[in-house]
Amino acid sequence: MISESKLKILTESAKYDVSCSSSGSKRKNGGGIGNGYAAGCCHSFTPDGRCISLLKILMSNDCVFNCKYCMSRADADVPRVSATPEEICELTIDFYKRNYIEGLFLSSAVHKSPDYTMEQLLLTVKKLRTEYGFYGYIHLKGIPHAHESLVREAAKYADRMSYNIELPSEKSLKLLAPQKSRESLLLPMEQLRREKVAFQEEKHKGHFLPAGQTTQMIVGASPEKDGQIIRLTQSLYRTFGLKRVYYSSYVPVVRDPLLPDMPTGELREHRLYQADWLLRFYGFDAEELLEEDGDLSLEFDPKCAWALRNLHLFPVEVNKAPVEVLLRVPGIGARSAYKIAEARKYASLTFETLAKMRVVLKRARHFITAGGKFYGSENSAAVRGMLSSGVRTPVQMSMFADGQNALLSDFETARSALTGEL
Amino acid sequence: MIYFYDGSKDAFLTAFLLAYNDGDATLTSGSAQLSIGSQTVFVQADFSRARRAEKRLLAIDKGSMRDLSVLLRSGDGDRDMVALDYFKFLAKTGRPVREMLAEDCVLAAAECMRRVGNEVHRFHGFVRFMETGCGALYAPISPDNDICDLLVPHFRARLPGFPFVIHDVKRKKAAVYDGEHTFLAPLDRAEIVLSAGEEKWQALWRDYYDGVNIPSRKRLKQMRGYMPVRYWKFMPEKKG
Ligand code: SF4
Repeated sequence: MISESKLKILTESAKYDVSCSSSGSKRKNGGGIGNGYAAGCCHSFTPDGRCISLLKILMSNDCVFNCKYCMSRADADVPRVSATPEEICELTIDFYKRNYIEGLFLSSAVHKSPDYTMEQLLLTVKKLRTEYGFYGYIHLKGIPHAHESLVREAAKYADRMSYNIELPSEKSLKLLAPQKSRESLLLPMEQLRREKVAFQEEKHKGHFLPAGQTTQMIVGASPEKDGQIIRLTQSLYRTFGLKRVYYSSYVPVVRDPLLPDMPTGELREHRLYQADWLLRFYGFDAEELLEEDGDLSLEFDPKCAWALRNLHLFPVEVNKAPVEVLLRVPGIGARSAYKIAEARKYASLTFETLAKMRVVLKRARHFITAGGKFYGSENSAAVRGMLSSGVRTPVQMSMFADGQNALLSDFETARSALTGEL
Repeated sequence: MIYFYDGSKDAFLTAFLLAYNDGDATLTSGSAQLSIGSQTVFVQADFSRARRAEKRLLAIDKGSMRDLSVLLRSGDGDRDMVALDYFKFLAKTGRPVREMLAEDCVLAAAECMRRVGNEVHRFHGFVRFMETGCGALYAPISPDNDICDLLVPHFRARLPGFPFVIHDVKRKKAAVYDGEHTFLAPLDRAEIVLSAGEEKWQALWRDYYDGVNIPSRKRLKQMRGYMPVRYWKFMPEKKG
């Protein structure tokens, strides 16, 4: 059994990774222990409001790299420990069978060398699957600069892998994480993308990252603007087919002249998640949302801000506008848009029927007509005022918690509930 | 008229027939406020009447008995009336009404059923098993709704090699999986002998829970929203 002190050190250092999602895998129980729960499942919530879904732990915090923002960096004077593959497997199984967790999120500092570390991670997940008969969720962090054969092998056992992009620009990466290069992060992402496509085309038996790849970047440790971040996000989705990009607002755990002393505002992080949502589900391009050297508005959510810049496109008629256009109306979320599209097949919609269908009109009414009628304000200054007064809640509903909600079975719906329907 | 019944399906269906044309009916399986002069009747389950009602409702809506079973699991104080109104409306309308959410009685029933479903999903995460000396797993729970047997398929699918007991301590019953079969049994108090490692694993779990928290971000309200305090009783990470 792993010792208490080791467990503490190895979780303390892993906890700033924001992803804790266990969704996307339908792995069936093959006679051992565990299975996948495609919608994801939260097992507990910590006082910081985050969900615990996975056992998030490092294999080792003994690092040869020297990322400035990290408390495990080589220069830091901290106790160093490493767990054995057996300790991790046993911990996972014993937590899992008590229903504490949905699976394992295994990561590591670069211990000895990238290849050595990746070998240890691979050994652990392979053992967990084959010797311990574990069918639950495994998210494995990839180690930059590790040999590609190790990466390929690991993908056979993990449900999800992630290479963290860490910082939004190559320049900041050089400055703050000097041993990690853009290439060392992007090449394995590309490799996994390619191999997954090949795997699917050849209809192999077994699994190859059923829950895909994700990444994470720290926001606010370096000077990049939201415009750059959102453009980078867009290209990560488009080029590598990532499932998710996570943003982690910078929390200072280390003092360094190159790093800010203050944590990043959580509203900024929230706005980035909202913009990310617009890219993935609402058909927006980064270029429409903001300039490359601009930041997202803190006052308005990104869809609202876009609509206010494009008032000439509104109001749109709910009985006629295509779904893609409805999705762009502030206050109308995906569910409402499809409800409207369904309902208008049978009858012409009025504001009363919309209200009955529980479409929230508080913001939307300024941007739509129903049967030619308009109930919003024509005065754009008044509209701005009304809209901005209604957006204070996101501060408490920050998205730094992984967007799972025990109340909602569908992971992405939960996400939308948390981001606030746009 | 006030109709008392025992909360079972057949007694509900019997009462449903009796109260069908009573516009003033109050149906309850708990307590009701009696005012002077109010008339009461205690409805016993009547097998043949219940089958008659069941047949009629099923002919209108194939999903009606599933709805009823969910509604009767609800711990909401008004669930008997919600169910009665819903089935009366269903019978009067003569076709499935599930989607007619603009009707108050349909909406109330839908919300009531949704709460039951939500709690099942929540407990997929919140159940905490303890390992007993013989290797079986034991989890006490105290849910709002009567759901312990609904939790079994989920855990059986992922832990096929582990016999387990999910014990609803409030309703004094337990859903049991003996490694082969599942069944429901009355259970008042369980005498549990924990395995040698159990307390250590619980302690490690508490360490983990404390370790992953980021203290500079305090959002207790959010935590309690997702994981209401009434569920904490059987979670090692929230005890002591
Ligand atoms: S590689 Fe960088 S971020 Fe990772 S543990 Fe080492 S110092 Fe920290």
